[in-house]
Amino acid sequence: MTVVVVIVLFPILWAMPAMFKNRSEIFELPLHWLPHEWSTDNFKTIFGMDDYNYFLSIGSTTLVAVVSVVLSLIVNMMAAYAFARIEFPGKKFFWMYMLSTMFIPGITILLTSVRVVTALGMLDTIWVLIVPGLASGYNVFFFRQYFFGVPKYMEEAAMIDGLSKGGIFFRIFTRISTAPMVICGMSVFMGYYNSFLWPVMTITKNTELYQIMQLIRTLNSRYTGQYGVVLAATLMSLTVPFGLYCFFQKYIVQGISIAGVK
Amino acid sequence: MSAKERATKTSFRKKLFGKRFFRYRYAFTGYAMIAPAFILLTVFVVVPLGMAVYRSFFDYRAYAAVQEFVGLKNYLTILRTTSFVNSFKNALLFAAVIVVVQLLLSFTFAHVLKRCNTVYGRIVRTVIYVPFLISGITASIVFLFMTNYGGGLINGILLYFDADPIAIIMDKNWARIAVIVPTLWLGFGYNSLVMYAGLLNIPKDYYEAATLDGAGWWRKLIKITLPGMTNYFLLTIVGLLTGALTMFDIPFLMTGGGPLESTLTPVLYLFNNYRNVLQTSSITLAGAILVMLIVGALNAGVFFGVQSKVSDD
Repeated sequence: MTVVVVIVLFPILWAMPAMFKNRSEIFELPLHWLPHEWSTDNFKTIFGMDDYNYFLSIGSTTLVAVVSVVLSLIVNMMAAYAFARIEFPGKKFFWMYMLSTMFIPGITILLTSVRVVTALGMLDTIWVLIVPGLASGYNVFFFRQYFFGVPKYMEEAAMIDGLSKGGIFFRIFTRISTAPMVICGMSVFMGYYNSFLWPVMTITKNTELYQIMQLIRTLNSRYTGQYGVVLAATLMSLTVPFGLYCFFQKYIVQGISIAGVK
Repeated sequence: MSAKERATKTSFRKKLFGKRFFRYRYAFTGYAMIAPAFILLTVFVVVPLGMAVYRSFFDYRAYAAVQEFVGLKNYLTILRTTSFVNSFKNALLFAAVIVVVQLLLSFTFAHVLKRCNTVYGRIVRTVIYVPFLISGITASIVFLFMTNYGGGLINGILLYFDADPIAIIMDKNWARIAVIVPTLWLGFGYNSLVMYAGLLNIPKDYYEAATLDGAGWWRKLIKITLPGMTNYFLLTIVGLLTGALTMFDIPFLMTGGGPLESTLTPVLYLFNNYRNVLQTSSITLAGAILVMLIVGALNAGVFFGVQSKVSDD
């Protein structure tokens, strides 16, 4: 078991000290893990770029991801609640409609989506990063399943106390869904934070909005062969998701049994 | 539906009709609550899909004023494009390898995890999930660093054994391995945890009863574990298949689809051609629709299959 853990973490552990190796040392043979001479040149290069701002990129990516998590939880949970607890004509149709969007791969609609956001004038703005990915058939489905499991007497009691259906959702259902909200929120966060293809297609001129994965790709082609720089940029970008994971890991590891099999 | 069932259903509806208002008294709230998700999905998924389907039947050229309806011609063209067909062959190869290897690895490791129920086991479960947080871009960079020709880890080790260095991403077969390994690495922990959850779901009594009846580990595996985890297996396989068929980040960054298209995947092909001026976008769109038909149908099939099974239970 320990062996497996070491193998799993090995690539990251191996790459980590290379951040501090200077250009000549990084591919020096024979192999050595820790640098002979700790250098901060790589970091200076990253922070010293005059056309891209590394921290701004991390910041804007995190901001986009956080805003998206909040909005997508609201949008998808609301729909899920309506599908789980409210009767309305055409419910079956709307349900199938939303569910079927789950099976459309992103690549199929990539080109025409770009046309849509161009027509909406969203290109190169922060909205193009946030809005198109908010609603997700899968997440609606996920929360609907969870809401089915919530006992009805809670709502009945609240209704007697005079709460409306909307009130029940916002006052009760959002409070009792911490675990699925963390699981879903984390996966939405990772989806936004690690997204690459969509920003590449939609953020082209506005370099201030460059998302972190985009920036790493740009650095990778600019500093070809200078792995110290690229690795430093890459590994530093991991701090945000790792930090979040440390904070929420209790929910996530337990939650895989819910999320994995729905 | 039999005639009798239908009759009961209509009479039920008649009865309901009077109560219809009562039943739908919150309908307005319901519509209001699904509205945001409905509008977003329509604008950003359904409309683009409609546009893609529509355009794939036409001959769109930037310079032509009138678009001509060409039926399935674009589909035939893309199916005759060697690169696209090759990319599908590659994807199938990757999918086969990834599904088999990842299933074996994660299923085996799930058993190890199950045996270890201590605090240490909990730490291990927390740690092996970590690569799942890493993006394909990050993984590519780390693995490019390790496979570097001049002084990467692999060639450093080979040098230690006095072997010749390998130009990993320049060789057809090595490049394929170089693309598959990071993919396996990213998903291993997550899939192991899913399998682990599946194992925990099987009641212990089954195994105890089987032991009493004198069943060996192989019989237990075939008769208890595998049938008990059908859904977990199905969902894992579909997840892995979808992931492998729509691979993009890793081949894009590590090999760029090369050498000689040996790591070109359908998504990478489509991405490259969306910006290609020589090929009309309708042909690429036809290819994109084909990807959807394969990947989407696969997912939908398994999804509804598992769903109806669950509701049967």
